[in-house]
Amino acid sequence: MHDDATHGQGNSVLLPRPTAWPMALALGLSLIFAGMVTNVAVAALGLAMTLAACVGWFRQVLPHEAHVPVAVIAEEVEIASARTLIQRPQRSASAAPRKVLPVETFLIGNGIRGGIAGGLAMTVPAGIFSVLKYHSFWYAINLLAAGGFVDWASASNAFLCQFHLQGLLAALVIHGLTSLLVGLLYGAMLPMFPRYPIVTAGFMAPLLMTGIMFSALNILSPILNQRIDWPWFILSQIAFGLVCGYVVNLHAKVRTPQFQALSFAERAGLHSNLVELDGSQADPSQTGVQRGTQPGTKNGDKEDGAL
Amino acid sequence: MAVQTTTTAGTTQAAPRRLLLEVLHDWVTTVDHKKIGLMYIGYALFFLVVAGCQALLMRIQLAVPNNHFVSPQTFDSLFTMHGTTMVFFVGMPILFGFGNYLVPLMIGARDMAFPRLNAFSFWISAFGGMLLYFSYFGASGLYGAGSAPDVGWFAYAPLTAQIFSPGHSTDYWTLAILLSGIGNIGTALNIVATTICMRCPGMKLNRMPLLVWLYLVTSCLAFVTISPLTAAQIMLMLDRYVGSHFFDTQAGGSAVLWMHFFWIFGHPEVYILVLPAFAFANEIIPVFSRKAIFGYPAMVAASVGIGFISLSVWAHHMFTVGLGPGPNTFFTLATMVIAVPTGIKIFNWLATIWGGKIHFTVAMMFATGFLFQFLIAGLTGIMLSVAPFDWQLGNSYFVVAHFHYVLVGAILFMIFSAFYYWFPKMSGRMLSERLGKWHFWIFLIGFHLTFDFMHVPGLLGMPRRIYTYEADRGWMIWNMIVSSGAVFQAVATLLFVYNMVWSYFKGPIAGPDPWDAWTLEWSTASPPPAYNFAEVPTVESRRPLWDIKHPEDPDSRYE
Amino acid sequence: MSQTAVIPQTANEAWILPSRGVVGMACLIVAESAIFTIFVVAYLYYLGRDQRGPTPRQVLDLPLFTSICLLSSSLTVHLAVAALHRGRRHACSLWLAATVLLGSIFLGGTAHEWYTLIYRDGLTIQTNLFGTTFYSLVGLHATHVLVGLAMLSLALVFSLNGSMSAKHTGRLEVLSLYWHFVDAVWVVVFTVVYVLGR
Ligand code: HEM
Ligand SMILES: [Cu+2]
Repeated sequence: MHDDATHGQGNSVLLPRPTAWPMALALGLSLIFAGMVTNVAVAALGLAMTLAACVGWFRQVLPHEAHVPVAVIAEEVEIASARTLIQRPQRSASAAPRKVLPVETFLIGNGIRGGIAGGLAMTVPAGIFSVLKYHSFWYAINLLAAGGFVDWASASNAFLCQFHLQGLLAALVIHGLTSLLVGLLYGAMLPMFPRYPIVTAGFMAPLLMTGIMFSALNILSPILNQRIDWPWFILSQIAFGLVCGYVVNLHAKVRTPQFQALSFAERAGLHSNLVELDGSQADPSQTGVQRGTQPGTKNGDKEDGAL
Repeated sequence: MAVQTTTTAGTTQAAPRRLLLEVLHDWVTTVDHKKIGLMYIGYALFFLVVAGCQALLMRIQLAVPNNHFVSPQTFDSLFTMHGTTMVFFVGMPILFGFGNYLVPLMIGARDMAFPRLNAFSFWISAFGGMLLYFSYFGASGLYGAGSAPDVGWFAYAPLTAQIFSPGHSTDYWTLAILLSGIGNIGTALNIVATTICMRCPGMKLNRMPLLVWLYLVTSCLAFVTISPLTAAQIMLMLDRYVGSHFFDTQAGGSAVLWMHFFWIFGHPEVYILVLPAFAFANEIIPVFSRKAIFGYPAMVAASVGIGFISLSVWAHHMFTVGLGPGPNTFFTLATMVIAVPTGIKIFNWLATIWGGKIHFTVAMMFATGFLFQFLIAGLTGIMLSVAPFDWQLGNSYFVVAHFHYVLVGAILFMIFSAFYYWFPKMSGRMLSERLGKWHFWIFLIGFHLTFDFMHVPGLLGMPRRIYTYEADRGWMIWNMIVSSGAVFQAVATLLFVYNMVWSYFKGPIAGPDPWDAWTLEWSTASPPPAYNFAEVPTVESRRPLWDIKHPEDPDSRYE
Repeated sequence: MSQTAVIPQTANEAWILPSRGVVGMACLIVAESAIFTIFVVAYLYYLGRDQRGPTPRQVLDLPLFTSICLLSSSLTVHLAVAALHRGRRHACSLWLAATVLLGSIFLGGTAHEWYTLIYRDGLTIQTNLFGTTFYSLVGLHATHVLVGLAMLSLALVFSLNGSMSAKHTGRLEVLSLYWHFVDAVWVVVFTVVYVLGR
């Protein structure tokens, strides 16, 4: 709040007046507490101190807040970068002097949608595996659910092949949540590599999925760890990734705020000296924004979908 | 922290003999957020040394089997006092100290929203710490022999009942924490009100430095975290003083209820401690990578997300109680979910460093250590969040290693980093980088010696809070290594303290902006004058100083 | 002059931020709510777990009249703030006095209730779990009422001797926020203890 006249007379600033009453109040309360473990006399002293401090404090703020003027000391503070000494190559005024990246990206929500779609897709290979190998669709589901039910750890194959409602529910929750979260994580990382969602998702998502969920599941669910069929598992993962990437790619990219900083010509064509900027790197200390990530817009081609 | 004269006009060259008293008077009556911040930090550093010495005593006791270096009673009070001190009288005050100092400066304000409340909060926390340590003299009432609290830092019922802990030692623990809790709520309230109501023109919420955002989340978390603890402590006081039965198992009270209440506080509390460490990283990593932080909105969202999720995971501290399959599954999943926003943060820090022009100053070295160690600590955390795994390792040294990996490897590292980064602002002088590098490397070696190897005796079944052990358990060599690492850490910390004292008097003059940084605190003198800014600044982007330094290419064009 | 980061603002929009008093009180209310939540949870957790009486059903009566008094004091304190805002100081004093009176009736009711519980029914905080949780929850609330009453009385005194004027509206409003909160808590306590708990 820059209200009640923080500016005093002339070249001074009004600041709250120093006061010992807050400290006295704190001491009073502490003494009351200390009285509870030592002697009532201490508490009585504390009480007296508390009351006095309350009055004192009150008079600091009412009817008027106490202020003191503090003189502003003339002092020159120069603000300049220590690193502007190197002359930067002169560019056309319109060219962004730093790498501006990425100009277009996907929304985080698209990552979540991708995660959901991928989660659905993943059930297909898993289901096929389950039916082919154990002749029951429920096997895979129960296997996943066993993570939640510790007493299922020693269950037989026959048991796992039957339908169990709680198994179905638990598996739905576990699988749904994991897909959602992997999607979210993926969505948050999308701006780092907005170009080829299908490749990155097909590659990254299985990595994440394996990393997050199943490394933990080794311990969480020994039963799953014992019985897991790795080729099929990886197949389901890839299905997840590809579909996730495909779904993300269906969505239009949105322009990041960086877009406005481009010149009109660049905005119209979207394929100008950004590429050239890539090579002619200026003093790296000048680049304020995400260096290192790929320019989102190297050629005009990414609109019609990479891959 | 050493005393520093201010640039206030009033306190110019008084007669040298009166100076000490005057300076003291200045500090006692001050309502200036910078001085209060420094007092917070100084007081926390003092207790850091105290609790560090307690840790050393415990490590000496455990270094070899069948040791009787201290008595079992002393050992109990050592680990209780160590834990309580570190959490309530080191962690909280040091973080609130930095918050007090930095938040108003970073948002271009002249003081906190409630300067007097700020002073009150500091003093009441400080007196809380003193009361806790007074127990060494007066724990059985003033006339009996003293004895410190010895019920562990989470003080499980029914150990705290009058019959099992007679005298007043447990009351000292409760009262000290109540006092510090009042102070913490006061400061948290102040930080929230300051960030919401005191921002300088143009400092919209989405332009606030990430540090301020994180302090906002931390403070909001404090309201819903410290208060339940306060409530539980009031219940415990009622039990002990007027004979109610909240946690009295003889009369139908529940010991498990205390556990719930304590951990409803306890888990978010660890996030209250770690979020400010994230906050420091958010400021320090970009400056020394010479790049803007990557994914600012995602960072904010992740911080808020962590705040919310951390409220729903407390019972992962209680798997061994036997909660049943439903709660076990829920709390396992909820705990794992935290990994997602945390992961987002780690990725964003890496993306910030990626391709940057990294300057490995001591601050950046500590920040790098933080990144790496926090990752590992998170992984052991995920392992412990799995109920069956926890049944095996709960209450073992593995848990101790896990949380010290966070508390030391992440939080303390980031606090050191923050000292190297902001000390020039606070004192006007640079810390010695040469000594700092020694400090970093010795501490790093000590840290890894102690806490990497501490996982092993845990896996071998060594329970925590054990007084001593038999030689044939196979824990001996590991404990020896762990204890020897503690020596390294102690030496490094001494080096750090020496560095601070030496640099305060002899260090090179820092100037207002030694790191070529971008946030508002670097736009004023070092140390800042009492009024912070002669003119209230106006900002147009997240990096106001970048805009000034590069008028041809301001950030405001991109946001 | 220390040069600060001043960048001429393009649009000279007004820079208005919320009042710090209101924000501070809101924070305090959140923190206090958390404390009450824990006490309410404890009450509900121990409800009906007693081995011996008296039980809530045997001894508790609905404190309808005093509750109505407390709740209507929310209205009067609001009217007091409104009156002060419009500069009608006498009306403000009147409404404040009414608030204090209503609050005192509530406290008196609680005192009477406790008296009968202790001396007629023999229920103390030590008797059983119901006694433990009942006295602590209701007592915690009563403490808040007491603090609120003390501050309202202070405001009343200042209002009567004429040192309160329209420019103090903001502060009185913060106080009234606290009072509304105390009333809202009573709604919860009333529901839990006297309606659900019996
Ligand atoms: C990814 C994040 C984390 C996970 C999944 C996690 C998980 C866990 C689990 C499951 C336990 C209980 C172990 C047991 O008692 O058997 C635990 C203990 C603990 N954690 Fe973490 N943790 C995480 C991060 C943190 C952080 C950031 C901190 C501190 C700032 C922390 C501090 C602690 C402490 C102090 C304890 C032990 C409390 C005690 O028993 O005294 N943890 N953690
Ligand atoms: Cu936890």
